[in-house]
Amino acid sequence: MARDVNPGADRQSTGPDPIVDKSLSGPLLIAAFVMFLALGWALYAELYGGRPWKNHQRRFVSLYTSYLKKLRPRQLAAEKAAFASPELQKLEEQLTAAERSAGPRLSEIDRQLTSIRHRLAILKEPFQDARAKIAALTYELEHATSANGKRSIRHDIEEAKKGPFRVALPPEDGKALIVPASLTFGELERRFAECKSREAQLIAQQNEVTSESRELRRKRNDYLSERLVGLTQQQIDGLLRKMNEFRVEIKQIHIEEAGLVERCESCHLGIREPVTMTAADMGGNPLFVSHPVKDLMAIHDPNRFGCSPCHNGNGLAVSSVRKAHGNYEHWLWPLFAKENTEAGCLQCHFKDRVLEHAPVLTRGRDLYELKGCAGCHRYEGVDRDADGVADVRKEIQNLQTRQKESRLEMDREIKNGDQANSNEEAQKHFARAENLRVTVSNIDAMIGELEQKSKFLMQDLKKIGPNLKDVRLKLRRNWLPVWLRDPHAFRPGTKMPKFRLTDDEIRAISAFIWQSGLDGPLPVPQAKGDAAKGKELFETRGCLACHSIGEGDQRIGGEFAANLSRLGEKANYDYIVRWVHNPRERTRPYCPHEKRDLGPEDYSRHGLPFVADPDHSSCPNDGSELQIQNMTVMPSLRLSTEESRDIATYLMGLKHEYAAYPADVSYMEDASLAARGKQMVGRYGCASCHEIKTLEEAPRIGTELTREGSKPMEQLDFGLLEHKARKEGWYSHRGFVERKLNDPAVYDQGREKAPEDRLRMPNVQLTQADSRALTTFLLGSVDSPFRGEFRAIPAQFRYLPTDQQRDLQEGWWVIKKYNCMGCHTIQVGQKSVLSALPRYQDPDWKEQLPPSLLQEAARTNPGWLARFLSNPALSEEDVHRNGVRTYLAARMPTFNFSPNEVRILVRFFEAAAGQPNPYIALKLEPLDERERLMSRALFSSQAAPCLKCHLTGDERHDRYATAPNFLMAKERLKPSWTARWMLDPQAISPGTAMPSGLFHRDGDRWTFAGPTPNVFKGYNGDHVQLLLRYMFELTPEEQRRLTRAVPTAPTAATRQSETVSSGVRSR
Amino acid sequence: MDWAQLWHIVSLPDNLPIVALAVLVPFYAWYGLRQARKTDQLIGTLEANPEMAATHHRKVHPWQPAWAREVQVWPYLLRIEFLAAVIVTAVLLVWSITLDAPLEEPANPNHTMNPSKAPWYFVGLQEMLVYFDPWFAGVVLPTLIIIGLMAFPYIDANPLGVGYYTIRQRTVALASFGIGFLMWLTLIFIGTFIRGPGWMWFSPGRTWDHTRVVYETNRNLPDLFGITGPWGKAILGIIAVGAFYAVAGWASHKLVTRGSLNQKIYERTNLLQYATFQFFAITILAGLPAKMLLRLLFRIKYVLITPWVNI
Repeated sequence: MARDVNPGADRQSTGPDPIVDKSLSGPLLIAAFVMFLALGWALYAELYGGRPWKNHQRRFVSLYTSYLKKLRPRQLAAEKAAFASPELQKLEEQLTAAERSAGPRLSEIDRQLTSIRHRLAILKEPFQDARAKIAALTYELEHATSANGKRSIRHDIEEAKKGPFRVALPPEDGKALIVPASLTFGELERRFAECKSREAQLIAQQNEVTSESRELRRKRNDYLSERLVGLTQQQIDGLLRKMNEFRVEIKQIHIEEAGLVERCESCHLGIREPVTMTAADMGGNPLFVSHPVKDLMAIHDPNRFGCSPCHNGNGLAVSSVRKAHGNYEHWLWPLFAKENTEAGCLQCHFKDRVLEHAPVLTRGRDLYELKGCAGCHRYEGVDRDADGVADVRKEIQNLQTRQKESRLEMDREIKNGDQANSNEEAQKHFARAENLRVTVSNIDAMIGELEQKSKFLMQDLKKIGPNLKDVRLKLRRNWLPVWLRDPHAFRPGTKMPKFRLTDDEIRAISAFIWQSGLDGPLPVPQAKGDAAKGKELFETRGCLACHSIGEGDQRIGGEFAANLSRLGEKANYDYIVRWVHNPRERTRPYCPHEKRDLGPEDYSRHGLPFVADPDHSSCPNDGSELQIQNMTVMPSLRLSTEESRDIATYLMGLKHEYAAYPADVSYMEDASLAARGKQMVGRYGCASCHEIKTLEEAPRIGTELTREGSKPMEQLDFGLLEHKARKEGWYSHRGFVERKLNDPAVYDQGREKAPEDRLRMPNVQLTQADSRALTTFLLGSVDSPFRGEFRAIPAQFRYLPTDQQRDLQEGWWVIKKYNCMGCHTIQVGQKSVLSALPRYQDPDWKEQLPPSLLQEAARTNPGWLARFLSNPALSEEDVHRNGVRTYLAARMPTFNFSPNEVRILVRFFEAAAGQPNPYIALKLEPLDERERLMSRALFSSQAAPCLKCHLTGDERHDRYATAPNFLMAKERLKPSWTARWMLDPQAISPGTAMPSGLFHRDGDRWTFAGPTPNVFKGYNGDHVQLLLRYMFELTPEEQRRLTRAVPTAPTAATRQSETVSSGVRSR
Repeated sequence: MDWAQLWHIVSLPDNLPIVALAVLVPFYAWYGLRQARKTDQLIGTLEANPEMAATHHRKVHPWQPAWAREVQVWPYLLRIEFLAAVIVTAVLLVWSITLDAPLEEPANPNHTMNPSKAPWYFVGLQEMLVYFDPWFAGVVLPTLIIIGLMAFPYIDANPLGVGYYTIRQRTVALASFGIGFLMWLTLIFIGTFIRGPGWMWFSPGRTWDHTRVVYETNRNLPDLFGITGPWGKAILGIIAVGAFYAVAGWASHKLVTRGSLNQKIYERTNLLQYATFQFFAITILAGLPAKMLLRLLFRIKYVLITPWVNI
């Protein structure tokens, strides 16, 4: 109450005092109410609002339970059906019988065990208590210092051991009364040990008795799980029980060595469930689906790898979807979009060329190589040959410097030795000089080694685009500016990207390119060939595995190399003949030391003929390794000159009749224009993909992309579009890359730049899928350590393949480089380009497909394979044919691999087939006379017409043969594979014409399924082994003898072999 | 006008206190001044009516002749404070639920943020770095400000105006504090709303663009006079600074001694007190804004240049 200092004042005349008389109840009530609401809100946020996973978990439990309940009867029925099989019934019966027979013995053991355990329980407490006391006293004894003390403690121990311990033990039969016994510690210990050993005995007996039924149960379960798709009813019940006992809590993975805490499974609860669940199964909720690729999860156990190392996102956050997926400004690694998920693989698998589970990523890598991105943008590992050559050259230079220094040092030492005062000192100097001489010679050896290496590397070094030194020999002059204006208009889908060139630039560049071309030696003038024959050859020799032909919908063939539909408009016939005959033939060899192309004059100066081939690959002027071939991946198909002419004639006939070219291109001879053109060619990086005179050593012009995905956002130049990007939500690495790929000039929009400062990247014209693949590849190209300690991927997470896995990945580089998959099947499920061509849909032509190489090294001897790869004709003279499958129209080309690449390829095939390395051939027993007769008889019998299909070397027969010559078997094949092949070729190469079921099992041996010739009577050996040994002994004479015995009718075409084989096929 | 940019700045959880400040400071300033004006009216009434002043009245607003002269703390003050506490608690609760702590990405020393701003209460200090050398803006000036605030009670010779709102009895104190506070707020506002990437000056509503390029060269005062020698620079600087102190001291003296009440207070102040007051008033309340204006309007970086000290 207010202290009224002036009571009785004229109070009535004034109003109420707002401080004293006014009630605050109203405002207080309202404030309290607001406060109460805020408190309620805080509680809600604490319990639910900030913890959305709680509701998710409850929803999951109910949805999953009902799904499992729905699944249960279905699986039960399936299980019943599986149970119905007699085999399982038998197992089941055996199981019940075993259980029944073991029953009485088991219950007796159980009874005894119970009694023993009861006794143990009684003994345990006093025994352990006494033992602990004695142990403590013993410790004191050991640490007592005085003799007196020791004595008294000893006495205490004796006392403690005496007890007495009163234990009321039931007798073993359990019937007599319980008699409390008074025991000393020694007795107590003995009884305890007795009971323990008795218990162990009984448990062992129990195991023994139940072993049979356990084994049977395991068998039954194995049988069931083999035959039942999905879970058994028992497993489902287990899951249901788990859901019953489900606790709503944060589900967390903690991986200490990675510093990783992942709570993704607090919401994504179904991800690791053994049942496959789609969103539809879970009431349309995509949150609860199981991981779509279970195989991947099996290799990458989330308990070891977590989730966010692959998928990105913020594994710690659980407060909202946005936060957890890291889709906010401050999380630097937001969840990969669905279409780019595979980007996550690359950080650990950065050395892998082909990833089985990541087709999009692999496609991205393919594109990076195929489209020549690596020409301008270095990427670690891609374009390894160019990097290798540069490294080797630098190393040679270093060594040479060192050698020179060593020589100088040596001279100095000798001089010092000569001038030395004492004999001893002179000796020391001379010894040092001697050492240096050895060093110099060692360096010589090293340089020699490196030069060899550089020779191989230069042999393997390829360029994406054609050699522009040959333009004058190859091209029509007025075609060039048209091509430069828009390559995609002339040849849709070409690798050559579209540069944004002005007319002026086009003229300058054309002039430079034209004037920098070589004048000769000119290709030999050629007579015209037969276009119709050329067309047939083009379509059957295998050209279409890489090249395509036809425009628009008519287009067929591979995308690896150019579409040749309008070749006739641009090229020179003589040059094309030479190119088709041997694309590697180079007009003039290039000397990397002098940095110029050598001509006949360089050779004649030294009195040498103008010849540059692998045997004459060093420069006549300075002895360095020359580039003696065109740097193209296009191989030689070993065509004859006539065939080359036919094909060239056919190709030259392909043109648009209405195509118009500028008539006046005289500016292309203008030297001043060429000088400007050279600048532009350098600026646009043309020399990255093409060989251009004077620009052979031009550096890459683009930024390195090895770590592009982890570049800080601020370093990506969005130009003036940054704010737009932020507003529209594509201010991200993905948004940047995608837009840049679709329109490389996009970030120049609105900017005031001099022409030479504008973005140079040309338009590659990618399809949406390809752009997505390339984006995925670039997003995944991250530098893990950059992510900081918080997110570093520990080294042991990285996949560093060893041995065969490494051989595989090394091999993939070469296989992709030369497009082996255009003709061959190398990966399971992969179709070659040829097999998709309309011609090969015809059953007759199907047999003309090049062989599948799935198990190539299981079949072939690695030494032979290496020889075959370096020379697929397997002959030096007779080269215009295949070495093995002479009956194929498609021809295995000569790729001119360096020994390096041959080794990599052989190792790849060995690894792919899981073959041990090195290969040591199995020694086969030689045949005796009778066995030879028998196998000869079987070989030539009507039931086994081996020679109907296999080549024999007989001209008339071989025209219709569709299988390799047996003579090659000894060198080429591995006996173990050959035996498997004879037994079941369909299992090794599905769709092969070789019939299966030729043999059947007879006891422990295989016998021929058809009627055997009479000589076989009484033979107990294995027929497969017999034929095998015969095959590996086969000589040309023996084969001739065979062919004489079997009248291989020339009309016996492939059709007939089909019917024969189907007749013999038993399953 | 980039409204999105403006909204972005205003809506940052970091900047919420400043946005609140922009509303709350004017409101409470108005509210306090209203109280002060009413008290001043009361003082006027009481001065005019000594009889009334001698008898019964309440010395602060609101008052009426018959009301109690004094009011108990309990419950009259405490109940209001309690109400305030409830409201503040509710506001804090709602604030902490709706706005998460503005944490950012893990620090990366190779890649620092731009602009890198201090927390709002230090942004003013950071903004001062634009106008002075770091040792001056970061060490000397804050120390002076703190010492000045600490010294205030000891240099205040005015016995009036304690315990109630008033303007007329405390014009000097009110004005100097007002100017200082306003200056501090201005610095914070500039630092928060105007300084963008690269600490560049972005007028409100202009897009913060970290690629923006500006042409801005600063000059030193001696450069304007073409003085190049170190002695010449130092002497010119000392003259300029000395002149500033002289002029500002004279102006400040004129202002401080205006009116009879202030004259009386001045007479009660001793020399040490007065000199201390003048030093802080000129240095902080006049010097700082003067230097800011020199820099912002005339692009002048340093006035006084010596090998050891640049101001």
